[in-house]
Amino acid sequence: MTVLEDLAAPRRDAEVVPLAVGRRERWLRRLPLLPALIYVVVVTQIPFVVTLWYSFQSYFWDQPGGAHFTGLSNYTTVFTNASFRGSLVRSVVMTAAAVIAAMILGVAFAVLLDRKFFGRGVVRTLIITPFLVMPAAAALVWAGPMLDPNFGLLNYLLAPFGIHHVAWLSVHALGSVIVVMIWQWTPFMTLIVLAGLQSQPPDTLEAAKVDGAGALATFRELTLPHLRPYIELGILLGSIYLVNTFDAVRLMTNGGPGTSTTNLPFYLYQQVNNAFDVGGAAAAGVVTVILTIIVATFALRMFARVFQFEEARG
Amino acid sequence: MTVLPVVRPEPRRVPRWVGSVGWAVVAWVVALAFFLPVLWMVITAFKPESAAETWPPKFIFTPTLAEFRLAVTGMSPFLIHSVLATAGSTILVLLLAVPAAYALSVYPVRRWRDGLFFFISTKMLPIVAAIGPLYVIALHTHLLDSIGLMIILYTAMNLPLAIWMIRSFMLEVPGELLEAARLDGAGRLREIGSVILPIIMPGLVSTALICVIFAWNELFLALNLTVTNAATMPMFLMSSVPQEGLYIAHLAAAATVASIPVILVGWMAQRSLVRGLSMGAIK
Amino acid sequence: MASVRYMSATRVFSKGTPPAVDALDLDVHDGEFMVLVGPSGSGKTTALRMLAGLEPIDSGHVEIGDRDVTQVPPKDRDIAMVFQNYALYPQKTVAENMGFALKMQRVPRADRDRRVREAARLLDLDEQLLDRKPRQLSGGQRQRVAMGRAIVREPKVFLMDEPLSNLDAKLRVQTRSQIAELQRRLGITTVYVTHDQVEAMTMGHRVAVLNQGQLQQCATPRELYENPVNQFVAGFIGSPAMNLRTVQLTDGGVQLAGKVLPLPATVRTAAGAAGLTELVIGMRPEHLHVTDGSGELTGSGELTGEVILVEELGADALLHVRLPEGGTPVVARTEGRKPPAPGREVTLHVQPDEVFAFHPVTGARLAGQA
Repeated sequence: MTVLEDLAAPRRDAEVVPLAVGRRERWLRRLPLLPALIYVVVVTQIPFVVTLWYSFQSYFWDQPGGAHFTGLSNYTTVFTNASFRGSLVRSVVMTAAAVIAAMILGVAFAVLLDRKFFGRGVVRTLIITPFLVMPAAAALVWAGPMLDPNFGLLNYLLAPFGIHHVAWLSVHALGSVIVVMIWQWTPFMTLIVLAGLQSQPPDTLEAAKVDGAGALATFRELTLPHLRPYIELGILLGSIYLVNTFDAVRLMTNGGPGTSTTNLPFYLYQQVNNAFDVGGAAAAGVVTVILTIIVATFALRMFARVFQFEEARG
Repeated sequence: MTVLPVVRPEPRRVPRWVGSVGWAVVAWVVALAFFLPVLWMVITAFKPESAAETWPPKFIFTPTLAEFRLAVTGMSPFLIHSVLATAGSTILVLLLAVPAAYALSVYPVRRWRDGLFFFISTKMLPIVAAIGPLYVIALHTHLLDSIGLMIILYTAMNLPLAIWMIRSFMLEVPGELLEAARLDGAGRLREIGSVILPIIMPGLVSTALICVIFAWNELFLALNLTVTNAATMPMFLMSSVPQEGLYIAHLAAAATVASIPVILVGWMAQRSLVRGLSMGAIK
Repeated sequence: MASVRYMSATRVFSKGTPPAVDALDLDVHDGEFMVLVGPSGSGKTTALRMLAGLEPIDSGHVEIGDRDVTQVPPKDRDIAMVFQNYALYPQKTVAENMGFALKMQRVPRADRDRRVREAARLLDLDEQLLDRKPRQLSGGQRQRVAMGRAIVREPKVFLMDEPLSNLDAKLRVQTRSQIAELQRRLGITTVYVTHDQVEAMTMGHRVAVLNQGQLQQCATPRELYENPVNQFVAGFIGSPAMNLRTVQLTDGGVQLAGKVLPLPATVRTAAGAAGLTELVIGMRPEHLHVTDGSGELTGSGELTGEVILVEELGADALLHVRLPEGGTPVVARTEGRKPPAPGREVTLHVQPDEVFAFHPVTGARLAGQA
């Protein structure tokens, strides 16, 4: 039994911590948690508090005078700024497209890997590798050797199909970036879904065989419902990582052409590094955080099942 | 169902092994296609630049290590920084995550769900949002461009996932083992040390592996918060990108060198990696 | 029409290992309740799965009705199976579980619902349970849903793989009779696997005893009890188990407990013809009588020994008696009231024609009577 329990098996262990746990015991239990908790609070919340503070300041790196209070003006700028809104939309589009495509591919690959065949271990190794490649390296390899309009491999492979010398990063910039995101995260989805496939009790599959279900019917009626919590976990975790994609944007297209591939992380990076606008970036950051919290709350309610399985022992 | 008056065996239409072979073929084709960019990266890295910029792309050429030699010049400081930052943060993560996971699984605190949610939520807030203020803080605490800062940040980056993973491994320890240990008089520390740790050791390896992968490959924080004293391999890779001109083979060589350590470690510890990424489900 | 025939059916799991099922020849009559029984590894479950089509048949045939189904996939064999762990579909409701096969056969919804409801009634499953998921049911309820799923199909053959082994003892006894009665009512040919010989004896019309992949004997329960064809069957059937001992042949019988235990002439002749100097004899605990010294049974064998353990069963008691030559104690069944106390000496009597004799090497029964 792992993080994700099979829906059929009721948990043996008690779910709730018994109330009759004395004060000393409760503190003893909290103790091991404290180092990590304090660490995370300090390292993540302090910067956030500082960000909040700066969001109300006008602070330009390249101007003398330091920071001075400016109320909500940074926030007004953020909301009226088309670039911020644009990058937000683009982030959503890129993340959604990549997560969905990676999950679909992940399910397909997992199904392939779920059956014994010659060289299955090697095939699995090959499929996992894109996840191991340094994202910066992946971005550079796709930008150059793969997608170059004149020397790239992709154009060579597509030539027989009548597609000639496409400048992918100019004409299909967003798509190219999304392809790299999908390429790197499909292995992650594959392994999570594979875990789900292998946790299916084999005798239910045999019962389906006896009951007259063919391979497709079994997949549709039994396997997919079983996979649902795994798929949800993959989508949740994948989204968390994919929404922060930076390397591919910076190294493949530098946000362009124009701003067509600028997502939120890249936009914020530009604000700090090019516009030197600490205050503005901070405000944008705060807005991002608030939006993320709203989305995450909805998402987590939908994915409550994932947390339902996190039954602790007492 | 028709009943045949005479017993006659019904022949198999297709021999059993055809399905297996077909499946293997499809799987291999798909896997190789998916792996192709990596293969192409390594092949291109061995090309002299002149052979890399051709149309059609060359598959036959005289391999050379020239680009590699160029690519690794000046690499050592970056390499050292990466090793220190990765190893340091991974060790710190494990030291913090094991007790925390313990407190969220075996003898859970009352509000363990909130605790777990809090840790995960820190991952959901994009670090990019705080990069400006982070820079300012780092500047004022004299931590800018230091390995220490990278270790601190990478630890915070990996801690939530590590806690979740280690917790799921701890939940697999059979309750009876812990009860037996308790009856034998084992205190909490002994319990963790002699009972739990040995059992979840493979899980710890998986977790460490995933932390190493994320820390080694991390670019954004390194880009913004390091200059020379703590610049890591991803930074080295970025610096290999020339401002002008096309250097496809050079890029491929640099990319290969930067990625090889994690790829090799991932391949060798593949079982561990698979176990970790699937949250302990696939052994 | 729905008889079942195994014809020399064999299954070998990996080359070089002995077959899991070795050239099984078995005839199940239409409407019969046939039990396959044996210890673990005997091949009974494998044989069942070969009939289901879940296990390939390496050589030989299997027929259902008069149709050779050896190469036919499970869904086309017109069978239904109850699995040991029930194998209920976790994300489907009870009604959906039971109706699944019908859905696969594209039976219209109204018919499906009607048949599911009928089966539920037959099995005493409350209507309210139909909308629940398996994880909300008790073990006994799940077992009945598994049975319901099989019944709804109205198949030619029922296959059951140890369906009672996950129930607690009391529920097991209850359900046992319910299943037997259900089968009688429906009249569907049933092949039932169990490791529990009590289940086998009480439920089956005929019982097939398997050991290490080979069929030992297939007969009615009574026949198995009274005329076991070899040592394995004799020792497996009957509870408590038959006492088996290796003994030396001597004039008139065999040496046991310092005396001569007489054996029928036919047995002695058979032993002599086989050139044996020793035998394995078997005596059922219920055939070893405790005497109080008065009214000795003439011509009976006598064993005297020390009582080392008394197991009280209420109506009966089981005496574990150690014989002077040592070895495993002999178990005898006696009246529950005032059994001899441990430590006491006791004399047991057995009739020669109630003593079984087996070949010490092959285990075959020597000179069985008609």
